[in-house]
Amino acid sequence: MARLPASPTQRIDPSRPIRFRYWGGEAEGVAGDTVASALYAAGVRVFSRSLKYHRPRGLYGLDGESANTFVAIDGVPNEAAETTLLRPGMAIAAQNVRGSPERDLYGILDRFDGLMPAGFYYRLFHRPARLWPFFQERLRAMAGVGVLQPSGSRERPGRFERYLNAEVAVVGGGPAGMAAALAAAEGGGRVCLFERRLHLGGHLDWRTRLVDGQPLHRRATELAARVAACPNIRVFTHAPVTGVWGENLVTGFLICPEGGIAREYHYECRARSVVVASGCTERPLVFEHNDRPGVMPATTAWRLAASYGVLPGRRAVFAGGDDSSLEAAIELAGYGVEVAAVADARAEGHDPELVAAIGEAGIRFLPGWTAGAARGTNRVTGVELRRIDGGRAEELRCDLLLANAGLQSLIGPLSTLKAQLGYCTRTGMFQPTRLPERAFVAGSMLGLRDVAAIEASGRLAGLEAAAAAGWDAESQIREARDAVRNAPGPAAGCFLACAPGIGRGAKAFVDFDEDGSYKNVVESAQQGFDVPELAKRFGGFGLGPGQYHVPGQNLAMIMAALAGTPLDQLSGTTVRPPLVPPRLATLAGPGLAVHKETPLHDAQAALGAIFRNAGAWHRARYFSTDLSCREEIRNVRANVGVLDSSPLGKFRIYGPDAQKALQRVYVSDMSKTKPGRCKYSAMCNDTGNLMDDGVVVEIGPGDYYFTTSSARAGATVEWFRYHTRHDGWEYQLVNLTDTLGSLNLAGPNARKVLAKITDADLSNAAFPYMGYREIVVGDGVPVRCLRLGFVGELSYELHAPSSYCGYLWDLIMAAGAEFGIRPFGLEAQSCLRAEKGHVIIGTESEQRVTLTDIGMGFLWDSKDTASKKVGAPALRHASGQTDRLKLVGLRIDQAERRPEDGDIVIDGTEVVGYLCTTRMSETLGWQYGLALITDRHAPEGGTVQIYSNPRGTPSVTHGTVVAPHFYDPEGARLRA
Amino acid sequence: MAMLRDYLRPTRLWAPAPIKPHYQVVIIGGGIHGLATAYFLAKTHGIRDVAVLERHYIGFGGSGRNTAIVRANQRTAASVRLYDEGLKLWPVLVDELDFNLMFFNSGNLNLAHSEAAVAAFRMAIGTANFLGIRSELLDPLQCRELIPALDISDRPEHPIQAGMYHPPGGTLRHDAVVWALAKGAAAHGVHIHQGVEVTGIDTDGGRVTGVQTNRGALQCRQLGIMAGGYGTALCTLIGLELPVHPLTIQAMVTQPLKPFLNHVVSSGAYHVYATQTLKGEIATGAHMDPQVNYTTDPTARYFKHQAEALTDFMPVLKDVKFMRTWAGLADMTPDMAPIMDANVGFDGLYLDVGWGYFGFKAGPIAGKYLAEMIARDQIPEIISPFGLGRFLENRYAGETAGAMKYGHWDS
Amino acid sequence: MTFMLTCPICGRRELHEFLCGGQERGPRPPQEGLSAEAHFRYAQFRSIPPAPQPEWWYHGQGCGVWFKATRNPATNREERPGG
Ligand SMILES: Cc1cc2nc3c(=O)[nH]c(=O)nc-3n(C[C@H](O)[C@H](O)[C@H](O)COP(=O)(O)OP(=O)(O)OC[C@H]3O[C@@H](n4cnc5c(N)ncnc54)[C@H](O)[C@@H]3O)c2cc1C
Ligand SMILES: [Zn+2]
Repeated sequence: MARLPASPTQRIDPSRPIRFRYWGGEAEGVAGDTVASALYAAGVRVFSRSLKYHRPRGLYGLDGESANTFVAIDGVPNEAAETTLLRPGMAIAAQNVRGSPERDLYGILDRFDGLMPAGFYYRLFHRPARLWPFFQERLRAMAGVGVLQPSGSRERPGRFERYLNAEVAVVGGGPAGMAAALAAAEGGGRVCLFERRLHLGGHLDWRTRLVDGQPLHRRATELAARVAACPNIRVFTHAPVTGVWGENLVTGFLICPEGGIAREYHYECRARSVVVASGCTERPLVFEHNDRPGVMPATTAWRLAASYGVLPGRRAVFAGGDDSSLEAAIELAGYGVEVAAVADARAEGHDPELVAAIGEAGIRFLPGWTAGAARGTNRVTGVELRRIDGGRAEELRCDLLLANAGLQSLIGPLSTLKAQLGYCTRTGMFQPTRLPERAFVAGSMLGLRDVAAIEASGRLAGLEAAAAAGWDAESQIREARDAVRNAPGPAAGCFLACAPGIGRGAKAFVDFDEDGSYKNVVESAQQGFDVPELAKRFGGFGLGPGQYHVPGQNLAMIMAALAGTPLDQLSGTTVRPPLVPPRLATLAGPGLAVHKETPLHDAQAALGAIFRNAGAWHRARYFSTDLSCREEIRNVRANVGVLDSSPLGKFRIYGPDAQKALQRVYVSDMSKTKPGRCKYSAMCNDTGNLMDDGVVVEIGPGDYYFTTSSARAGATVEWFRYHTRHDGWEYQLVNLTDTLGSLNLAGPNARKVLAKITDADLSNAAFPYMGYREIVVGDGVPVRCLRLGFVGELSYELHAPSSYCGYLWDLIMAAGAEFGIRPFGLEAQSCLRAEKGHVIIGTESEQRVTLTDIGMGFLWDSKDTASKKVGAPALRHASGQTDRLKLVGLRIDQAERRPEDGDIVIDGTEVVGYLCTTRMSETLGWQYGLALITDRHAPEGGTVQIYSNPRGTPSVTHGTVVAPHFYDPEGARLRA
Repeated sequence: MAMLRDYLRPTRLWAPAPIKPHYQVVIIGGGIHGLATAYFLAKTHGIRDVAVLERHYIGFGGSGRNTAIVRANQRTAASVRLYDEGLKLWPVLVDELDFNLMFFNSGNLNLAHSEAAVAAFRMAIGTANFLGIRSELLDPLQCRELIPALDISDRPEHPIQAGMYHPPGGTLRHDAVVWALAKGAAAHGVHIHQGVEVTGIDTDGGRVTGVQTNRGALQCRQLGIMAGGYGTALCTLIGLELPVHPLTIQAMVTQPLKPFLNHVVSSGAYHVYATQTLKGEIATGAHMDPQVNYTTDPTARYFKHQAEALTDFMPVLKDVKFMRTWAGLADMTPDMAPIMDANVGFDGLYLDVGWGYFGFKAGPIAGKYLAEMIARDQIPEIISPFGLGRFLENRYAGETAGAMKYGHWDS
Repeated sequence: MTFMLTCPICGRRELHEFLCGGQERGPRPPQEGLSAEAHFRYAQFRSIPPAPQPEWWYHGQGCGVWFKATRNPATNREERPGG
């Protein structure tokens, strides 16, 4: 279809055609088109089929108000045609269609609506029960809208997101929002202005009406130019706000122009103050067949003509409730649409200037009339107009029926902001009755219609917002208040809940997306769902893709009318975020990247390490594809291995009260630390669970170096300070975990390897087990060396500055080459330590067991009550208890299917515990297990049954309870 | 024909009743737990002089906000028994209440991303199977067979190592359960009072005697606090301290799509679960705001987190759009097991709190035994592991392995 | 809903920088003669009215200080003198 002649309001460039595909055929739009305007211009009227009845649905709003115009674009379902810009080569398809949009096989369902009263599915299909799964699958197939195409692609619209700060954020770039931004910016603060559409201007953008001798669209351009020129206003267009959250956090996403930094990106703006100027839309008129293609709000048709140069139809009937419809009628007549009649639900209160203009244009004006029923199926072909008092009716032919019941405010941002809203009996709209701190409202959503009044209210809100953010604008505010007072106030609204004479069987839709009709509202109320929040849930009003937009205020008004509730007590339903649906990948932005790499990551990767996530880190778990790690283990036991233990927590605590702090959080007597010696101890929580273990070394007076488990490294400072928060103690605590890397050199040949790279005296006498030395390695690397034995062999833990760790690793590998040194990973370490009976927190401990239950009670200094050790009261209490889980060792019988970690321990019909760690140990020659089992079964020598059933076939294996130190119980090897 | 007429001319599911000054049993909270308890009191125990007081509308609380996932593969045997019985109760209720609760028996797939998580699965699977409940360990390929949308490569931040598949689980329509129970309770004579808010609890000599409400005082002999996350607030009225912390938990849905996700999928590492509702939306949630909170406000942060997580392990969702988010309360105990107890602090006071985010699946079965507890004034054996006293004895239920940090729910 | 907290050292910051340490319960009671019940009540039993109450917060993503703030769980907002 040819476009209308060029006009100053147009946002298209007809000289740049854009070719695309629709429903298998070729079509053409122009630059500036949205998918919807291009399809409409190409003659498409039926865009989709509705959810329940498969009724034909056409273009309704132009801002994504409903799912009517959802299309699949290049295989991506549920794209809103109205808000998606047309791009060359797009392949566009209609959704929820069997056959073609015009001729849909399921269209027959429309005849059976009588059999589908509100909530019918709750009362059908469940008897007999065995049939339900069959119906369930049919229902599932009928429901849903778009089809998701399987794809393994992880590509995103761009790994970008933006975090902003502002004194004032303004939501809405119409005249009120622009005036607010300009006023707020006068104070010098940073202002962010967010507009969902491609251009600033709001409802002025397409209006040619002259005010003070200037066309309104010109006024919009002028304001927009001033905003653009203002250095402290940042403007974000095509950037719908998804919500305004607590304390004025504005979130949304921005759709970038071609060649932008991303296709779309998520933004968040933390603003001191916020101005909401989101404007109004037309409130849908609920009348029979109000969903027929060709029935739309007046603005939609008007914008098609003014902005996109598309003639929306040939013969139009208006059924409005607001002056904007009168203006639209005059304008559309000017664009060449024959206007058959303009009905208006209001009997009086019209703008006399517009009424006169309508008369001059020779258009029939019918105040006190509205639309009662639309004719036609795939296209509207006519309308039955009715008098509001139900008195008379008249049939008119038309191919465009522009209907509304007045305006409604776009309360979304206010609702997410938790403003209190009330129905205003003058404007006929929901309006804020109480605003949260530093939030302000302006513009037509206050019921203002006069453009000067709208701008004045914007200016006032902008100044107040800037003042709330700290600018002293008292005198300006006073003036702005006067300006608002002197401008025309809110206009009277339209109070029509729905068209007169709606019959019981009529399909008058309150909600298009879910095919929720007036009749369904009545049925919901009859079944007890007589307040909007309940009816919404029962009948599904406002639960579809358009959410609140179409049914929102109408649902409340109709329910109130049914219940006879006075209008001033009208209550709506909550509008929930997101106000505009963001795509998940845009919201996700750069996405997740939560794991750290150790300084030895690359060195290990080069040796074939297989990494796994472990707490906050990526760690080497295996060094071969033999996941039993036999070689790694054997080499540590018989020779020497090296482990990257960098994630180990490393801390320094010092100060006059450092020891008191240690006494508080460790269970042992920490006054017994000695220079040059590692003291092993543990921390508990208030229920006596093991939280952490590690060693503490006194490195000076009131000065200690200590280690924690990797998992606790991040929480240790917090833990110390929490448990001493009431005491006012003086100590400093520094987390050195990331600063220092760590290597564990372990095995009978560990000393020989280390000796090659340091001059320090490593003899057993000079540096015994549990010793601590600060040594120099290689070309002067300072190393804190701890002689510990977690894996049960002679071993040295070497803590060195992270940046030197690579060098240290190379030194060790070179020095160890002659002995056959090999790296080992977490799995081997876990096996080695388990053979030794050393626990890993969270593996051999859990919330049901205390330190004593897992055999570590010996660490606890039970006589100390003065330090108020964390966990001591619970340990004291539990020591007298029976019927608790205990940590035991198990020697597990040979079995065809070996038990694995997590398998349970049973007795008769009872579950009595579970295996924490179990391995077939080559070192021992049998399968050991560390298990938590009830104390009744814990005595050594007893046998237990282990039940495994991971895949539907049970097997039971026997085990004998033994001491949980399987390997070198005397500890001779550590001390060698 | 009469049946068709009834079908086409539905009548009120529950009739409004006048507020009486005295009831034998007053239940605070018109959620699943309160309504189910009232239903079983009247139906099974013949105690019909019962009022359910709901300050907003029935289902306002967690019962109308949850994602309705049901399963029985809990961590410990005591819980498995209860939840299994709960799972078996749904079809009975559908029939008894003559209401389609839309039980979608999809099975639940839980993902493990570490060796430790696999061990935890083996424990839960072993316990379930030992108690006769189906649950099995799957490798990543088998996971993808169930849910083709999963990325089982090593590209996600948390690569998938195994899955725990639990065929008996699935989802229901949460609101339908509330309405059906209200229908059933009202049919047996229970009074359901909406818009009645309890503002005080009256006691006399160590006994509960009634409640104060915005609509006047009501006397009762037995009082059930079954107010979900608001139970802690109600307990403050009588100075009862609890190891329970109400936190908001958030959920959201995408725009509706034709069926492609045929099972509930969840992951601890991602803090996410997702299901596709019968209407086609992907319903997803799991994160909690970590401070106590009686509001039901969602947060921008978790809304975003959910998108980060979902697109990481199901990248096919990248162009799908979120349509709505909301939140409700999850009343967390340190061991993630509930508290059901009788004569707590006062004679005649019955407590049902701490269901966290498990209270939907157990709603009706809890109601059944709570009714028995109130009717017989004695704690039924199956719920005896869930008394308040366990926290004074340091005997945690172990529904989570994690040890508590600072006394409130913070693991 | 998102809110902000005032760290005594860093000033007003986004909530997600902080960790909640729960309600203020006063210093740890003396352990001499402390009953198990009294201990467990101190450690984990709470009364949580929907009203402003003192809490401990940790500025983990900031300066690392524990501080007391007053917050109302009914509004989920910090109560600050002067708003
Ligand atoms: C987002 C979310 C997702 C969840 N997902 C699941 C899930 O998938 N599976 C699962 O099993 N569970 C889930 N849960 C948990 C589950 O919803 C709850 O545990 C369950 O609904 C609790 O039911 P209830 O009847 O005890 O309480 P509620 O449903 O909360 O009902 C309590 C009622 O008490 C009323 N009330 C409160 N105070 C007063 C007063 N003073 N006077 C009168 N009335 C009062 C409230 O208005 C409320 O309606 C989820 C929860 C949430 C919030
Ligand atoms: Zn700070």
